[in-house]
Amino acid sequence: MSKVEGGKIPGRQLMAVLVLSRVVPMTVAFPMMTELQVPQDAWIASLLGTLLSIPFVLLVVRLGLRFPDKTIIEYSELLLGKYLGKLVGLILIWYWISVVADVARELGEAYTIAIMPETPILVFMTVTGFLAANAARDGLEVVGRMGENGVWVVLFFLIVMFVLPYDEMRFKNLAPVLARGVRPLAAPTGTVVSFFLQFIVLGMVLPYLNRPKDAARYSVYAVLASGLLMTWLTVVLVAVFGPTVSHLAMPAFSLSRMISIADFLERIEAITMGAWTLSSAIKLALFLWASAVGLAQVFGVSRFQPLVYPLGAIAIAFGILFFESNLDLQRFLQFKNLGVYSLMVTLGTMGVLYLAALLRGRLPLGPGVRR
Amino acid sequence: MVGKRTLRAAALLLVPVVMATATGCWNRREIETIGFVLAAGVDEAQEEGKIQLTVLIAKPFAIGAGMGTHGTTEEKPFWVVSSTGYTVFEAVRNLLSQSPRRPFWAHNRFIVVGEEFARKGIGDVLDLFCRDGESRLRVWIVVAKGAKASDLLQTEFELERMPPEGAMGLLEAARMGLSTVGEDMLNDFLQRLEGEGIDPIATRAEIVPRPQEFDIRGELKREKIGGSLRLTGAAVFRNDRLVGWLNKPETRGFNWITGKVRSGIIVIEKPGEEGKFIGLEILRAKGAFKPEVKDGRVTVTVKIEAEANVGDIQGFIDLFKSPELWASMERRMATVIENEVLAAVAKAQELGSDIFGFGAELNRRDPKKWASEFRDRWDEEFRDIDVQVEVKAKLRRSGLVLRSTRIRK
Repeated sequence: MSKVEGGKIPGRQLMAVLVLSRVVPMTVAFPMMTELQVPQDAWIASLLGTLLSIPFVLLVVRLGLRFPDKTIIEYSELLLGKYLGKLVGLILIWYWISVVADVARELGEAYTIAIMPETPILVFMTVTGFLAANAARDGLEVVGRMGENGVWVVLFFLIVMFVLPYDEMRFKNLAPVLARGVRPLAAPTGTVVSFFLQFIVLGMVLPYLNRPKDAARYSVYAVLASGLLMTWLTVVLVAVFGPTVSHLAMPAFSLSRMISIADFLERIEAITMGAWTLSSAIKLALFLWASAVGLAQVFGVSRFQPLVYPLGAIAIAFGILFFESNLDLQRFLQFKNLGVYSLMVTLGTMGVLYLAALLRGRLPLGPGVRR
Repeated sequence: MVGKRTLRAAALLLVPVVMATATGCWNRREIETIGFVLAAGVDEAQEEGKIQLTVLIAKPFAIGAGMGTHGTTEEKPFWVVSSTGYTVFEAVRNLLSQSPRRPFWAHNRFIVVGEEFARKGIGDVLDLFCRDGESRLRVWIVVAKGAKASDLLQTEFELERMPPEGAMGLLEAARMGLSTVGEDMLNDFLQRLEGEGIDPIATRAEIVPRPQEFDIRGELKREKIGGSLRLTGAAVFRNDRLVGWLNKPETRGFNWITGKVRSGIIVIEKPGEEGKFIGLEILRAKGAFKPEVKDGRVTVTVKIEAEANVGDIQGFIDLFKSPELWASMERRMATVIENEVLAAVAKAQELGSDIFGFGAELNRRDPKKWASEFRDRWDEEFRDIDVQVEVKAKLRRSGLVLRSTRIRK
């Protein structure tokens, strides 16, 4: 079978796209924040969630590296056989499409809530979706390079956002630590982990790394980098908004609205919107690419490009159809919904695949598989 | 298969289509069609259960006209207009039946609340200001003592044509130079509302009447000059209801405790000479407090460090010769500070409002004890807190002279 995707990307581009895709649920809606019962402990949940996610990412990398030139879709067929393997593949593709759907919807909601309440949400979703689909059609190399360049811009925006509201920060708000114990932290920590589980998309990217041995290193860097950014953001948010932080629909946006330096540098929420737009577009591109390549491989289509636009259109339609309102979306992003769903899909598939790999450990894995 | 050439031609054809459709968006607003709200006020409306919203909108054409060769125009550069509604949002929308320009809220600096309205609770009117995308959390909350917000918004300043600009200047100057204003923006106010063991404050403002017949100094050429505005301390809330006021010394006492004193004048009696005073200028100050629980009773230790310079002295003093005089001035300065602090505490306890956040600090230090012993009965407990004040007062410099001028008799 000819290769569906022919590109190769370096590890740092992988890291960039992963960081960007994790930044999206921090700068647009910040689901873990809305679940906080004890806002001052947000940073603990964030840090804990980040650390708990590392083993999962390593698991994905480890399994992936056993099949150096196969995507997760391809090796699930090798491990589970044709029909069961394809089924697992389709589940994963469905999961990625649903990620695309809610990222697009989140971005649209953010725009409509924040600045253009009367503009139909479909406008933002299609424009960004179209942009992302174009990048995805050009293959992984383009997505990777977009990430590599975009990540610096987003990072700059984030750091501006994290530092400049210093006048409003009251670090007293962070005390007392663990006043009500660790139990209330369960849901927010779960949410943090559930968004890291989206890194299962690594399974699609690994075979296209130009140096596969970099994979583990850069994936863990990506988890740590985005986890630390998130922890920093939670600290700043709690310092600025105190107990009211969990009321905010888009905390990062509200944060950038608090910036006021000498009555001169203010009203710079455009930087947050820049961060949203860039990171969401790249995340959409990555997940669209993954689902299109995955679908091509499941059905043995030789080119994935023709699948990108239809998949994008379907995902955006889902984005509209899945959620009645912004509240519906926010509720969906909570641990008891999206969290449980993500856990089931990602841990379920990874568990089955890993188990199969263990059982078949001594058996020949089929042609083209090196040990 | 379509050729590349055809595709390119199609793309070229798309360009004018995109150019024609992508010029703006649904929500574009031309600057000529919006009116900048610079301050908003909330009162009770005459109709039962309704809210009266008063906004001050900038008049752009009148601002520009003032810059001409004639100095000032007779036209006010602002327009104050009221509307009513069951909710603030309805009232805002109802403004459209009077204002040809759509009110634009991003530049709003003040939420003024009339005293009567504030006493009934302002929680319900704040929602719009944090929910709406145009309005900001960096808005000052001002309570009009003994007046309606709509009257306060009619006041003017001699030195600023635009009243909110004047009020901003006043607020900045008073915060930096006097430390006698309660300073809470909407963001702090909401946090204090939501927080445990802490109550909100707001800026207290009064109207100074200025009948035109008697006042011709620096007269603005107008038919009628309304009152002017004066900042006179802080408004104390319990939950979202106004319960009382701090006057200027009490407000400074509050600011000492919360560490917000930046500058100000401390007047002490001159040691050894009755009826003569010395003015000290506060250079810098630090304030902190620490609540402790002993035998089930709460004691708060307030620690204040202040540095000051001698600003002016009545009568003769040779500071050069008497170091003990210097020390006694420092002691008197410390006493003044202590009295201000105790006055603020006494007033807050009388009103039953923990504006300092003693309870919140207790929670930070010992969350378990707070939850088990104090949270539910903090209102009563707060009233009998024993407050100890420790002041370290330092005088640093005495200006350009060491000895005052001696009047030879």
